[in-house]
Amino acid sequence: MKGKISIIFFMFVLSLLLVACSDSDETGGESSSGGDGNSEEKVTLDFWVFGQFGFDGLVEKYNEENPNVEVNLQLQESEDMHNNLFTSLSAGSGAPDISMIEIAYIPQFREAQDHFYNLYDYGADDVKNNFLDWAWKNAESPEGDYMIALPTDIGPTAMYYRTDIFEEAGLPSNPDEVAELISTWDDYVEVARTIKSETGTNITDSPELLFNAVRDQAPEQYFNEDNELIIETSPYVKEAYDFATGLIQEGLVGQNELWTPEWGNAMSEGTSATLLAASWMVGRVKENAPDAAGNWAITTLPEGAGNWGGSFISIPKQSEYPEEAYEFISWLTSPEQLLEAFNVAGIFPSTPGVYEDEDFLSKSDEYFSGTKTASVFADAAQKVEPVFIGKDTPIVHNELVTALINVASADGDPEEEWNNAVERIKDQLARN
Amino acid sequence: MHSGGKGFTFSKLFIYIILIAGSVISLFPFYWMFVIATNHTSAINKVPPAILPGKELVTNFQNVLAKIDFFGAMLNSLIISSLVTIGVLFICSLAGFAFAKLNFRGKEFLFIFILVTMMIPPQLGLIPQYYIITQLGWLNELKAVVVPGLIDAFGIFWMRQYVKGSVPDELLEAAKIDGCSYFRIYWNIVCPVILPAFATLAIIRFMYVWNDFLWPLVVLRDTTSHTIQIAIRTLVDNYVQDYGMILSGTFWATVPLILVFLIFNRFFIESLTQGAIKS
Amino acid sequence: MGNKGDYSVIKTTINTNSSAQIKTKRYFSESFKESFVGYLYVSPFFILFGIFGLFPILFSFYLGFQKWNGLNEMEFVGLNNYKLIYSDPVFWKAIYNTIIIGFLGCFPILVFSIILAFILNSAFVRLKSIFRVSLFMPYVTSTVAVAIVFGVIFSNMEFGIANLTFSWFGFEPIKWQVGEWAVKIAIACMVLWRWVGYNVIIFIAGLQSIPIELYEAATIDGATTRQQLFYITVPLLKPVIIFTVFLSTVGSLQLFTEPLIFLGRNAREEGITAVLYLWREAFNNMAFGTASAAAVTLFFIIIIVSFINYLITNRISS
Repeated sequence: MKGKISIIFFMFVLSLLLVACSDSDETGGESSSGGDGNSEEKVTLDFWVFGQFGFDGLVEKYNEENPNVEVNLQLQESEDMHNNLFTSLSAGSGAPDISMIEIAYIPQFREAQDHFYNLYDYGADDVKNNFLDWAWKNAESPEGDYMIALPTDIGPTAMYYRTDIFEEAGLPSNPDEVAELISTWDDYVEVARTIKSETGTNITDSPELLFNAVRDQAPEQYFNEDNELIIETSPYVKEAYDFATGLIQEGLVGQNELWTPEWGNAMSEGTSATLLAASWMVGRVKENAPDAAGNWAITTLPEGAGNWGGSFISIPKQSEYPEEAYEFISWLTSPEQLLEAFNVAGIFPSTPGVYEDEDFLSKSDEYFSGTKTASVFADAAQKVEPVFIGKDTPIVHNELVTALINVASADGDPEEEWNNAVERIKDQLARN
Repeated sequence: MHSGGKGFTFSKLFIYIILIAGSVISLFPFYWMFVIATNHTSAINKVPPAILPGKELVTNFQNVLAKIDFFGAMLNSLIISSLVTIGVLFICSLAGFAFAKLNFRGKEFLFIFILVTMMIPPQLGLIPQYYIITQLGWLNELKAVVVPGLIDAFGIFWMRQYVKGSVPDELLEAAKIDGCSYFRIYWNIVCPVILPAFATLAIIRFMYVWNDFLWPLVVLRDTTSHTIQIAIRTLVDNYVQDYGMILSGTFWATVPLILVFLIFNRFFIESLTQGAIKS
Repeated sequence: MGNKGDYSVIKTTINTNSSAQIKTKRYFSESFKESFVGYLYVSPFFILFGIFGLFPILFSFYLGFQKWNGLNEMEFVGLNNYKLIYSDPVFWKAIYNTIIIGFLGCFPILVFSIILAFILNSAFVRLKSIFRVSLFMPYVTSTVAVAIVFGVIFSNMEFGIANLTFSWFGFEPIKWQVGEWAVKIAIACMVLWRWVGYNVIIFIAGLQSIPIELYEAATIDGATTRQQLFYITVPLLKPVIIFTVFLSTVGSLQLFTEPLIFLGRNAREEGITAVLYLWREAFNNMAFGTASAAAVTLFFIIIIVSFINYLITNRISS
């Protein structure tokens, strides 16, 4: 008898819990389910983004102009969003209709292209010429017949430098003169030595960025188009590594790791003379070093340019509305809208058409001593060479950075560290 | 300890020094979060770090409010954490009582099974667990976090150990012979004795669920279903990091936990006096 | 609390109800009922676990025999994943690191937390709740803040707080982020910092089940505080001590958050732990097969170590 009461009580509490949950999520479930009923044919498109791209206003505009479509913008943290996209594709449900993809994740998803609609089937050929060739190729299969995502923004690289340190070392500090002074990587080493001996300051404080800058100018990177590791046969990566370790061993490079407080501190204290970074670093520098306004300027990198960062916009196969989704993304990535996004959020457009815009080119930044930032980065963007990036790039990159850190912080021998890194890389590549 | 009951002694001073030093070390990162939450982002880069609060308290929090639905997300977190805590306290104390004091076949085996489930590294379960949630159709619903959250091997183990150590068998035998139902024994005899265990489990569980983001962010994608931890993560932008704002959100999201702790902390004191009356 | 009354009611009814006949008659059904209630009370865990926990485990075992990157087709590879990780020196390094960091972290945690709990449970200390909540705060402090603060403390640079303190005593600055032992000690410090307060709370709860009269009697008999600690507190805390030792063992073998916070995504060999290793395999290298093989192996290692640990704790405390 009393046992029964306990069972009933027990079931009651359990069901209470379940009911309480299902009540509370009414608000959560509804908005994503779509059809609100007031217009029968209205299509809701879930659109995942992972940062401030300035798309809010554009989405609003699009929803107004297209009453049959409701684009539902959902913001998540970058890593979270990519993990969620991965999990959804892997488990077969839960993916949005439209998803942004950061460039670093593109190779991995491109390798699993069947999870995305081929945008060539929806007319991507027609807009291809709007975009920079190298940006486009990132999201295209090596054979060139499958396109998983349209480029939105890019991260062309340039050389940020401290005018005060250059002046102190008796060097010119105007962007054009500095570009002329440092037109090759050999010049860069010369200037590094001068600055060190005149002021005691390091030329740069991140071994990783130095390595990246040289690597990104090469026509090949870690893998060939068959996803075979080529760093032992192709000379470029090793050259970049040797260049970086050479400067490290000469004592010209600091040893801060990226994104650490020391690294941010170095920006405002001026403990290094240059920062080799992408267009979006503009915001980071200002945030990290609000007091250093006027001490920074930007000019072109020696011997070319590279790309660091950028994003794409894709339509996962789980979407039921690929046509509507494509219509939206091709509108969003048109030069006019990307220019608008640039003006709102500063993301650098992947469509060279924008680079001819007068207002765009004349944009200058007082913080960076009046540098015409947009024009510098537009120049850089057009100098980038297309490179094939393999899906296992993070494995290789992590191990090479470990080797660089070992050389910089633990007095490692560059050759030995390189060989060990290659060993570890091969070991890990055998597994997936 | 009781020997030094009156007045000032050297060992007392020593003990207070230990306690104060321990508290300062424990609190420093939390305090520092407050410092950054009241400063401009660049303060985070000061070496040595900034240690005094700044003037941006209001600005930083206004930025948080402008970007996320802070209070809506707090409410979601409160609902999830409370439901999980209540459910876990009930389920675990019942099971702990059964394992500690009732006889049934296979008890040892079942208990060891529960311990073994704690030994499984949880990190790889995400994809299959996500799959189950999608099959149940619970995506973006709070119960996707609440119901799996009720599985708590730790809590059962804890309750079993505590009931074992603190509830005398004679008491239960007496009640049993008297014909008390098992549920009444649990409710009227066991529960009052194990209040400190409830308080401990409640504190640990509530705070764990409140701070957890690994699982919630997999199943709660829709902005309206975000918990506070996920909402705060969306403050992290891809290109520009406003740490002043991020840590402001984080700081204010942690403050309610102090209240929760103090609420449950009361159970400790009460039960101390009660234990004295009992025996 | 109304239960005190109930208790006395029960006591008085015992005498009136003890007729031998009724007792034997009810015996069978009583034990049947007890079993039934026992199963009922433990069932929620097993039901929920059956729904949400079992499938992921079986899936992991299954994945251990597959080559899978999470998105494309799986490929059956037999025992190859196990071969790959067992021949990987980094895997064994990770197991070794895990055990070393576990020892460095666990022992001090247990000792500190028992002592602090003893102090915080004693009658004379004022402001108990403030000390309790302070010591517990590391458990809830955001990992973002923790990462940055510990990064500054254990910086490689000479101006890092740890190195600065060392320099006052005339020591050379230490490379906390890359040194073989320095990394482990830094991570162990972080573990210690985060988990002492947590264990203090558990021990305080445990201490409160010890009747205060025992201490009073001991004080009258002239026992010192230390004697009280060793002859009353520790023996009576045995179930709770077994509990914390088990938890610390399992927890330290699954150590993940602290090394991840300290090392970042670049899980360096000096500090990589077993779970960090399998996490890197799965979510950085997209090798779910070898990650699962590592998880299964780790699972068995944890079972063995926990069992040995249980035997040792049991022997020592009895």
